[in-house]
Amino acid sequence: MSHDNSNKKKKMELFDVVTNVVVTLFAIINLFPLYWLITSSLKNSSDVVKMPPDWLPTTITFSNYMDVFQSQPAARWAFNSVLVSGVTTILVIAVGAMAAYAFSKINFKGKNIIFIIFISSLMIPKEIMIVPLFRIIQDFGMVNSYQGMIWPNVATAFGVFLLKGFFDATPNALREASRIDGAGEWRTFLQIMLPIIKPGIGALFILNFVQVWNDYLWQLVIGQEKNMKTLMVGTATLMQDLNPNFAYKMAGATVAAIPMLIIFLLFQKYFTQGMTAGAVKE
Amino acid sequence: MKLRNQSIKESLTGYLFISPQMLIFLVFLVYPIFEGIRLSLYQINYTSEKFVGLDNYVTLFNDPIFFKALLNTVVFVVFIVVLTVGFALFVSSAVFDKNAKYVSFIRGSYYVPVMVSMVVMSMVWSFLLNPANGLISYFSQEMNLGTVNLLGKTTTVLPVIIFVTFATNVGQAIILYIAAMVGVPKDLFEAAEVDGANRWHVITKILIPSVSSTTIYIAIINIIAVLKIFVVIQLLTGGGPNNASVTLMYYLYNNAFKYNQLGVASAVGVIMFLITLLLSVPQLRALIKDM
Repeated sequence: MSHDNSNKKKKMELFDVVTNVVVTLFAIINLFPLYWLITSSLKNSSDVVKMPPDWLPTTITFSNYMDVFQSQPAARWAFNSVLVSGVTTILVIAVGAMAAYAFSKINFKGKNIIFIIFISSLMIPKEIMIVPLFRIIQDFGMVNSYQGMIWPNVATAFGVFLLKGFFDATPNALREASRIDGAGEWRTFLQIMLPIIKPGIGALFILNFVQVWNDYLWQLVIGQEKNMKTLMVGTATLMQDLNPNFAYKMAGATVAAIPMLIIFLLFQKYFTQGMTAGAVKE
Repeated sequence: MKLRNQSIKESLTGYLFISPQMLIFLVFLVYPIFEGIRLSLYQINYTSEKFVGLDNYVTLFNDPIFFKALLNTVVFVVFIVVLTVGFALFVSSAVFDKNAKYVSFIRGSYYVPVMVSMVVMSMVWSFLLNPANGLISYFSQEMNLGTVNLLGKTTTVLPVIIFVTFATNVGQAIILYIAAMVGVPKDLFEAAEVDGANRWHVITKILIPSVSSTTIYIAIINIIAVLKIFVVIQLLTGGGPNNASVTLMYYLYNNAFKYNQLGVASAVGVIMFLITLLLSVPQLRALIKDM
């Protein structure tokens, strides 16, 4: 019996090893398109379509990147993306933190029902309301403007959802002590509570920044002038570009991807923290 | 009396703190929902609006492309969500108890495509799938299958888009599952081991049931994400060939911004809104129960 058991155990260990080899293999295959993206962008226009392909670029050239920045306002697109993602995220944090603090620490009438309404809005993608949203922005005269790109993206309860969890984890005594010491609610919020939830704000900043950076459909309809496109939308227009050089298109896509890759490498732990803070109950 | 004043004051402070979020929310989220419903009952031209009742919905239900889009969207949702949940469970249950470096490598390599966005991944895949000079065509020639145009055939276009979307987005589910599995109490596994359960039993009998709330969450966010699938369609197929890959979101976009059929587009939006509302009910129930 015990012999049988240890045999079984060995079999299961083998099963574990095999599954992990498969998982690792898939992980590497999953990264291959990105490898191909970056190496293709460094090839010249004839090498990129060579058959059989060069698995490693034989000659490395940055001319495709030069092309992208010379023939397209790619620097402007990048600036637009940084500005729109940055400002949107700062606003999301500002209004989200205020609301999250109230939902977590202040007792007010109807709080639970309002919170549920806020959270249920997370389920509704703004894309399906693109027609009325576009007309509202049009009425405000905000088509082709940064404001038009920013405000609808601030209308997300994601910040409230995420930061409320962080406020919930802070002791109530802290707020009470601050109030007894004579600090007003606003001062308590700004000087005592906000600094404590810095990790939450960090996680929200990164998650939201990436989300707005990668936003496509809304920015596509709102930034119609060439100079008002974000990097994602501008890059996608290279697909319709008459230039048949794939290396050039891959260079454009790489320019859009690199900032996100760097952010991910630097802040990996924030992603896990932020995504799971709202979603995973322990 | 003083106490009552205090509670009124507290309430006011609360409303004040939520008011900026509330205002933005009302203008850019709640109002558009009602405005969308209203617009769906109108025929809209550049300058005029005419009330037409349910005409836009009648138009939709007489348009075979709408049903094609609806059907394709359902197919995408079902296949992508099942693939995502299944594969993410497989990956995370294999790695969740391994050492931290390995786990973070796995998490990272599956999440990087999510990071770099559907736009970038669609561009790479369009190159890989290009019939003239893409890598996939090269492999098929090597295997003597001739050049293949997977995106140009009505039979292969859906599976390819399902695969591309799944491969790009599965990383998020993997991150959520690993986090949930790491949180499962260790003594459960120890008790199982004492009882002689093997890894397979532990995974199927303890691990997967323990993360069922994460499964529901992943399923719902993915259903809603796939419902609005757009980028990959626009960049890879343009809805073709012969509308074989058109989706609801793509159909909505075309009606609104190409054919200037804003009323019809709004009607599609209302239908999609009702679908998401229906789908989010279980998640909301869970949320309310938690509170």
